Amino acid sequence: MDFVNIFLKTAFVENLVLAYFLGMCSYLAVSKTVKTAFGLGLAVIFVLGITMPINWLINTYLLGENGVFGTDLTFLRFILFIAVIASMVQLVEMIVEKYSPSLYTALGIFLPLITVNCAILGGSLFMVSREYNFTESLAFGLGGGFGGFLAIIAIAAIREKIRYSNVPPALRGLGMAFILTGLMGIAFMSLMGIDPAAFSAN
Amino acid sequence: MKKALLNFFSKIEPNKEKQPLLHTAYDAFFTFAFTPNETTVNGVHMRDGMDLKRLMVHVVLALQLCFVFGTYNIGHQHFLALGEYTGFLEGAHLKLAQGLLKLIPLYAVAMIVGLGIEFFYASKKGHAVEEGFLVSGALIPLIMPPDLPLWILALSVVFAVIIGKEAFGGTGMNILNIALLSRVFVFFAYPTTISGDEVWVSGLVATAAGSGVEYGWWHNVFFNGIFEAFGWATFDATAVVADGYTGATPLSLAFKGGWEAVTAEYTTAQMWWGTIPGSIGESCKPLILVGALFLAVTGIASWRIMVGMLFGGVVMTLILNAWGATEFMQVPWYYQFYMGSFFFAMAFMATDPVTASGTTTGKWIYGFLIGFVGMIVRVMNPAYPEGWMLAIIFMNVFAPLIDHYVIEANIGRRNKRALAVAATTKGA
Repeated sequence: MDFVNIFLKTAFVENLVLAYFLGMCSYLAVSKTVKTAFGLGLAVIFVLGITMPINWLINTYLLGENGVFGTDLTFLRFILFIAVIASMVQLVEMIVEKYSPSLYTALGIFLPLITVNCAILGGSLFMVSREYNFTESLAFGLGGGFGGFLAIIAIAAIREKIRYSNVPPALRGLGMAFILTGLMGIAFMSLMGIDPAAFSAN
Repeated sequence: MKKALLNFFSKIEPNKEKQPLLHTAYDAFFTFAFTPNETTVNGVHMRDGMDLKRLMVHVVLALQLCFVFGTYNIGHQHFLALGEYTGFLEGAHLKLAQGLLKLIPLYAVAMIVGLGIEFFYASKKGHAVEEGFLVSGALIPLIMPPDLPLWILALSVVFAVIIGKEAFGGTGMNILNIALLSRVFVFFAYPTTISGDEVWVSGLVATAAGSGVEYGWWHNVFFNGIFEAFGWATFDATAVVADGYTGATPLSLAFKGGWEAVTAEYTTAQMWWGTIPGSIGESCKPLILVGALFLAVTGIASWRIMVGMLFGGVVMTLILNAWGATEFMQVPWYYQFYMGSFFFAMAFMATDPVTASGTTTGKWIYGFLIGFVGMIVRVMNPAYPEGWMLAIIFMNVFAPLIDHYVIEANIGRRNKRALAVAATTKGA
């Protein structure tokens, strides 16, 4: 039950993109068409879903006081988390290049840039500060990825639609994307405050 | 009559070159009365007399019953709180006066601010005034609490029209429903003016027993003068709120204690006929359903969205019934629809053709998900008393995505069919 709770909560209630406004760069840059946004969204789900449990293992068994080395090595947390994320992104990049070269060119520089995407590192740090266990961090990773996926394809569909709108010239492009993100953030506030765990306890 | 009006219009038509701003205003009112007879220069175009402006007028017509009832109900709730004229038709003139004193300023401010912005942008961009605000301006007062300060209303309209509509390029381009966006703005920026038990009854200092009434010049001098001249009952400035009165809405009662707590305060007939506190236009279900039927029959609002939304709400309440963790979740599904603004949202908000899904399949999905999400927000979210406003805004965001995938699926299916046909003809 905890798995489902945390998944739903991170995907909808505490959406990494629209509630915390993390991971903005690729979200704004690769959301011009639904097709590329879909690809990037899948990549984010994959990277978050893989790195989160791996980082949990590293944090607990390598860096923690009860880990292999027996001392508190948490000052290495950032560098190791980034290393894991970077290698995972490399993996995703190779997979995408092999199986979908068109998507690879469409995503361009933003695929390797997922490495320094704050949503991914931020997710790992949230996981540490919220003291999740292994399955919870897996749920958090997948849920956060799914939330990001949802946000990016939704804004991509809207941006495809408003291409035919008579947007004032000063706002075309990124300006509109920022306004849209704000409005979508308002929309996602509808679910803010729901705590699935509060109901399952009774 | 028609000819006289047309003559009048041609007489007062200002010069387009010399007075462009005045001509914009003239054009707005002229096309309100008549369908313009402009024709295209080359090629054949079919045009329907049922243009955007007439479509909007139909929606405003469908709202009239809600306006009338809402006005009266403002006054009715006011006197219920005071414990006077508790029968629905007793003291009708006082109730109507109180209602008009609350509704007319709200309506006027929403219209003046909204249309002012429209006129400004229209003359600035050099096109005819877009009439989109007619409907939004009629809807906005109906979804606000009667005692909302007018400057907050003005601010919310400014936000909704500029950020929600003009930034996107004007009428028909907006992503989120304008009327709901203005309500959302009030809801998040000034939450105390639009939630809780205090705000839904007008003209009281507070809803606690013994607190006084807020009457101004209009009550004490203007209307009392008229009523005295006729020998009717007058407003009593010394009246106080009756003992045992709370002003709680059915939804806030249901959240605290389930259906029993609601029926302890209100009967189902009261909730159905709408003589309960709430936003101005949302309470009377039968009149809203008449409006919904009118819109569905004339084809202006999509019946698919309405049915889909009803279905989604029922499905979600059945799931919540099965879960049954709180008393609110155990409220039977058919009672959920007695409370709150479900029907108003269904008839007038979800069916907004601009922000809803455009495809037929998309409309079913869109409507269903509004019902589904809205019921989750209503029952499970402790922060918000009612879910439809936020659920509709939420699904407005996803409507283009739904359309995108419905269209993709169509393209895929037709491609497959074309390929199959090509294969068979090749074989033969």
